[in-house]
Amino acid sequence: MPELNFDKVLASLKLRLDEVVDESEFDEILKEYAGKESLLSAERKNLSNLSNEDKKVYGETLNNVNKSIVTNIKKAKEEFINNKYASLEDKENEDITIDWITNTGTHRHILSQVMDEVVNIFASIGYKVAYGPEVETSWHNFDALNTPDWHPARYESDTLYTDNDLETLLRTQTSTVQIRHMEENDPPVYIVAPGRVFRSDQLDATHSPVFHQLEGLAVDKNLKFTDLKGTLEYFVKQFFGEDIETKFIPHFFPFTEPSAEVLVKWKNGEWLEILGCGMVDPNVLNHVGYSDEYQGFAWGVGIERLAMLKYQVDHIKNFYDNDLRFLEQF
Amino acid sequence: MKILKSWLNDWIDIETISTDDISEALESLGFEIESRTDKTPNYKNITVGKVLEIYEHPNADKVRVTKVDVGSKIYEIVCGAWNFDVGAVVPVALPKSEIKDGFKIDKRDIRGVESNGMICSASELDLWDDHAGILKLSDETKLGSDFSKIYNSTDTLWEIGVTPNRGDCMSHLGIARELSNYFNLTLKENSQALKSNIESVIKVNSGKIKACNSYQSIEIENFTLSDSNLNIRYRLSSIGVRVINNVVDYTNYVLHDIGQPLHAFDRDKLFGTISVRFAKDNENLKTLDEQERKLTSEDLIITDNDKPIALAGVMGGYDTEVTDTTTNLLIESAYFDKVSIMKTSRRLNLISDASIRFERGIDFNLQKQGLQRFVNLFENDQEINYSSIIDSSKNGISYDSISFDKNEIEQILGVELDDNFIRNTLIKLQIESEVSDKKIKFESPSWRYDLERPIDLIEELAKHYGFNNFESTLPIGNNLNSTGDYWDKRIYLSEKLSSTNFYEIQTLSFTDSLSNELFTPEKKSVSVINPIDQTQENLRTNLLTSLINTYKFNLESNGKSHRYYEINNVYDDSKHKKFKMIPNQEYSLGLLIPENETVEDRKGKTKTNNINTLANVIKNLFPFSELEHLTRPGFHKNYSYLIKLDNKILGFMGKLSYKIQSELELHDSLYIAQINTENFNFDQLKDFTYKPLSAYPFIKFDLSFSVPNDFQASDLINCIESILSDNENNISIFDNFTNEKTRNLGIRIVTRSYEKTYTETESTEILEMIVKEAESKFKIKLNKKDENAT
Repeated sequence: MPELNFDKVLASLKLRLDEVVDESEFDEILKEYAGKESLLSAERKNLSNLSNEDKKVYGETLNNVNKSIVTNIKKAKEEFINNKYASLEDKENEDITIDWITNTGTHRHILSQVMDEVVNIFASIGYKVAYGPEVETSWHNFDALNTPDWHPARYESDTLYTDNDLETLLRTQTSTVQIRHMEENDPPVYIVAPGRVFRSDQLDATHSPVFHQLEGLAVDKNLKFTDLKGTLEYFVKQFFGEDIETKFIPHFFPFTEPSAEVLVKWKNGEWLEILGCGMVDPNVLNHVGYSDEYQGFAWGVGIERLAMLKYQVDHIKNFYDNDLRFLEQF
Repeated sequence: MKILKSWLNDWIDIETISTDDISEALESLGFEIESRTDKTPNYKNITVGKVLEIYEHPNADKVRVTKVDVGSKIYEIVCGAWNFDVGAVVPVALPKSEIKDGFKIDKRDIRGVESNGMICSASELDLWDDHAGILKLSDETKLGSDFSKIYNSTDTLWEIGVTPNRGDCMSHLGIARELSNYFNLTLKENSQALKSNIESVIKVNSGKIKACNSYQSIEIENFTLSDSNLNIRYRLSSIGVRVINNVVDYTNYVLHDIGQPLHAFDRDKLFGTISVRFAKDNENLKTLDEQERKLTSEDLIITDNDKPIALAGVMGGYDTEVTDTTTNLLIESAYFDKVSIMKTSRRLNLISDASIRFERGIDFNLQKQGLQRFVNLFENDQEINYSSIIDSSKNGISYDSISFDKNEIEQILGVELDDNFIRNTLIKLQIESEVSDKKIKFESPSWRYDLERPIDLIEELAKHYGFNNFESTLPIGNNLNSTGDYWDKRIYLSEKLSSTNFYEIQTLSFTDSLSNELFTPEKKSVSVINPIDQTQENLRTNLLTSLINTYKFNLESNGKSHRYYEINNVYDDSKHKKFKMIPNQEYSLGLLIPENETVEDRKGKTKTNNINTLANVIKNLFPFSELEHLTRPGFHKNYSYLIKLDNKILGFMGKLSYKIQSELELHDSLYIAQINTENFNFDQLKDFTYKPLSAYPFIKFDLSFSVPNDFQASDLINCIESILSDNENNISIFDNFTNEKTRNLGIRIVTRSYEKTYTETESTEILEMIVKEAESKFKIKLNKKDENAT
């Protein structure tokens, strides 16, 4: 029985594969060792000269050798490609920290971002955004909100007026939008109204003549104090995180009853006021001509306050100085 | 308002309740806790002693030597104060004791005499500021007793916020009443009946006016002006009231105890009948602080037969004041209308503990008790003679009983309250009521002004039930998944701008008149009649000035030149488009792009912008908008445009005029725009239809035309678009070269048929058609055939 030295063939293949410098050589090697002109092919042609038994045995041997040649070449090719790209990637080693430190803010003002966030939370439970004028009538800012003309809040030292009869002013609260919206829309009402409000204060670390509030109002049949609690607890958890503790303590606002303040337990254990709320006073609903089968609740939250708490901003003045070093951070 | 635990204990037994529990109760009842201080003596081992002898110091004039009996022993002590005599009972700091702030007292040689400690003043024991000398104690105080045990030296002080609707809680009694329900305790009775022993001299008449419902007085004869007792002085000073003398201290004490303001007159300076009326305009009164006050017909005053003697509820008169020589008193206890007191106190800027209480409304039935408490306190300290109470009341105030359906409680609160809870709460709060199966009937007590409607009582019940004991439910509002046009536009604009290197800013809405004039002289400013200062007198009519200021500020202080935008209102004096009575307000977008822009990239330092950069931003925000040249004030003569959408003016844009640029000392040119967001709907921005994609390959031509300087590229693009209107096209300008003689415009045309692949011949035909049409229509010339038909 003719016998080719298979070990020698495989050893020479190994040497050949080790010397490869270009990917295209693998196809040539395959041709050389397993193609038509290869030693293996020649042996296969000789099979017909053998006895049936030898044919079977030797044929099987040839098949096995062929298999290992093909496998070896395939493996070597794979390894060659892997090494080639690995060494290519090895050479590329940029200092990733070079641009890592530059500011990556969204370029949106933080007050706008906080307003968006609050709006989105309420939008997710079916509230629409309402909008009202900033220069308002005293009636909408005070009278309609159950704040009669002798009330201290109306004094000129707190409020900026735009006419000598004190009939128009820069709104001191976004609650005015409650009235504007209800005058124009029938119940049910589910709105939030983010916007600017004004006070007679010089801009400094703790005061600003302009700041932002978000007013919320829900009026429908069967809205109750328990709904007010659930709604605001939902907001607080969405904004500050699921684990935040909340409590409601009684308070007084002329246009809600019962009225409450919502406090959250801060990281240091301190309880901080974050919003005022209450069931809409029946007088307010009367002023806008809603029938008494409707009732609801309202709340107001200070946007600067939320931003200061969440991002530990220390001075309210920062929001209005528009220093790039501040703007870039958000 | 400040309250003391020991003082509350006069009204309800809360000594054994922990201060934490009391804090929690106060807060849950709606009294915000501003601070809590646990008070302990700021001294150690102070003893009570009696001065037995006083003699001169052999070597010093300014001090005396005393012998002091402290019960067990007699000590020689040198003392520098002169306000006491033999027999005085005083606090003594013996050797090994400490006075204020840990200052140690020991035996000490004072100019050759050994002093065995010191006799103390109130300030040295950190009780209150008193520079009159040593603290004199009651003669009955047991000698040798521990000083800290003879008054409430260990105590808790709360500073709490009382909401403006709860005038009845502006006293220890008021707070105790609220707490009595919380802790289920019984409110004590503290006033004792009076036994008068003299006749009154002065008559009292509360007048015909409604503003004084009740005026009552009592006269006291043969009293001695002195210090009030230690405990009273300590309590008052603890809650921040200055201690003065027994008369002033006791009136203050009654006010903080039960909430009734009192005023003491020197009776012998009064004549005839005391009455109450409104002042005449320009009538004068010299008040206690020695100021001459010019009064108006809105000021409520107290008079006798001759003259005004007090500004009712606000401040007493100087001429009838109690002084060292006063021997007989008349004490006023009255009920004045809150609005009238408020007007006077605000106008004259005189705000006192009394005026604050009148403003919030005091108990209209408390006047007699006020006088009783005053006399009771006085009687404890010294023997006095007093008259019966003279009462001139009108009974002009009464409350009707109110009845409502019990199920209203559940309708408002979402929880049914138990009948026993309702009954007990109302009893503890001393609100007369009947609770039946279906109804609740109640009558507001004389101290409550806030219980006028069923909702008021429901709130009261909710509060005492505890807000935190209610369950929480989450109702869902509109099932619309939209925040509305106003908000959608805001989000759309800021997302687009912030992603193209604009920084959003928020600036104040105020400006001076010059800034408004600069860009919007056609608009009349809305001005504030009581501005914060001159630079904040007007509301801004445009957003451009604050954008420029922000640009300039950051360029100068941070060395960076950036793009900015702001979305906020501008205001002008014309009528509001929708609402009556108020001025016009337009929710607007302002934009600024600097000529040289800082690029936050380590490779390039700046990027140069021009008018096209701004035009591109506008086109990107409003894809269907058009520009129309119109020179506006403050803008470059040529680079000034109206922005229009569907023939409606959205706003204006352009380049800052060189004149203003130079006036503002700006090195670089600025490109600015303002858009009224109310002049378009969010839907208009999305109002377009999909253009189908051709399945065939594109052909592309790059052409260069020689054009005049005032030629508009968009005309050429539109012309080619219409020639190729059956195709899918992408036509753009890739080059615009200008020198003094010529202008070359490079245009790139990429087009595909929806029906076929163009052959080379067809492609050439198309090219020739375009060139021919363009040249004849615009009288321009193709420079060089540079086509690449593929």
